Amino acid sequence: MMEIIKYIGYIAIGIGSIFLFLGALGIYRMPDVYNRLQAGTKATTLGAMSTILGVGLVEPTWFVKSLIIVVFIAVSNPLSSHALARGAYRASLTPFMKKKMDAYESEIQNEKED
Amino acid sequence: MKKLLIILLLAVVGYFLTVSMSNIKFGANRMGDLSQPKTVGAFYLSKTPGELSVANVITAIVVNYRGFDTLGEVSVLFLAATGLGSILYKKKKKGEHIPTVNKPSSALLQAGSKLIFPAILVLGAYVFIHGHLTPGGGFQGGAIIATGFLLMMMSYKDFTMNHSVITWVESLAGITFASIGLIGLIVDHSFLENFLPIGYINDLISGGIIPLIYVAVGFKVAAELSGVLDTLLSIKEK
Repeated sequence: MMEIIKYIGYIAIGIGSIFLFLGALGIYRMPDVYNRLQAGTKATTLGAMSTILGVGLVEPTWFVKSLIIVVFIAVSNPLSSHALARGAYRASLTPFMKKKMDAYESEIQNEKED
Repeated sequence: MKKLLIILLLAVVGYFLTVSMSNIKFGANRMGDLSQPKTVGAFYLSKTPGELSVANVITAIVVNYRGFDTLGEVSVLFLAATGLGSILYKKKKKGEHIPTVNKPSSALLQAGSKLIFPAILVLGAYVFIHGHLTPGGGFQGGAIIATGFLLMMMSYKDFTMNHSVITWVESLAGITFASIGLIGLIVDHSFLENFLPIGYINDLISGGIIPLIYVAVGFKVAAELSGVLDTLLSIKEK
């Protein structure tokens, strides 16, 4: 049983490493701020969570600690990417593709009218 | 052409890094025999467990063997904070509140920072309370706590730091540090000498005065850095 859990942990670390690598590749390859943010935070959230959980599975005495770290990453990483994207939009950085629909712009307009 | 130059520069830097790194024998015992120390590092490594029973030798050096130096560092930080405060001081009208951010942040950030803020405070306190057991210490823990306050200042428009509380915390922590040193001078003939029982290694209460000093330094650094951030954020661009 312990061996199986260990191998699940190794697989989780492998998946996490792949996602972290893809995130790094995305930051290099993507054209604008929003796409890079997407690659750099969405992929690394899963990557870091999976890697740390895998470490917790390989070393069972660290499992609780790794679970706490995973919860913290799950809370903080999307939050920071949200704040960064919002800041970039408010600093009027235009997206790479021509925008067809912009729900946030109308919300800002509503905010100003209030 | 520019790319070629960059590659060439990187190659040169990489070559010298490799040459200098290859001289370092990783994993080799470069301290020699610890029972007969020949270098300063070996001396500290061999003496610290017996003299102070502190697991983190760096803390023992920073706070005990070179405690006077740390007192100086703390006062440098204090001077920097005071200088910033005196340059950027702006007289407020009674009851006037200068918001730290122009636009209100999103509801998501406000809810999330409420969730994270206590965790950051706990982490900072852990780092400076366990400074003699694990890597970290007063300066690092204080900086972590200050980032927590920065998060709150940036996400809430009307989050204010009470400056008299900051001043009191800072002064009390500084007085604690200096008076621990003075008690050492009175009891044991030299400034910042250890006068408490050292306890057993790896216990939370061990190492004599080191945990006390690091708690004081943690509070002082946290108060100073939060004050500096608050002062900097209250400047308005014209």
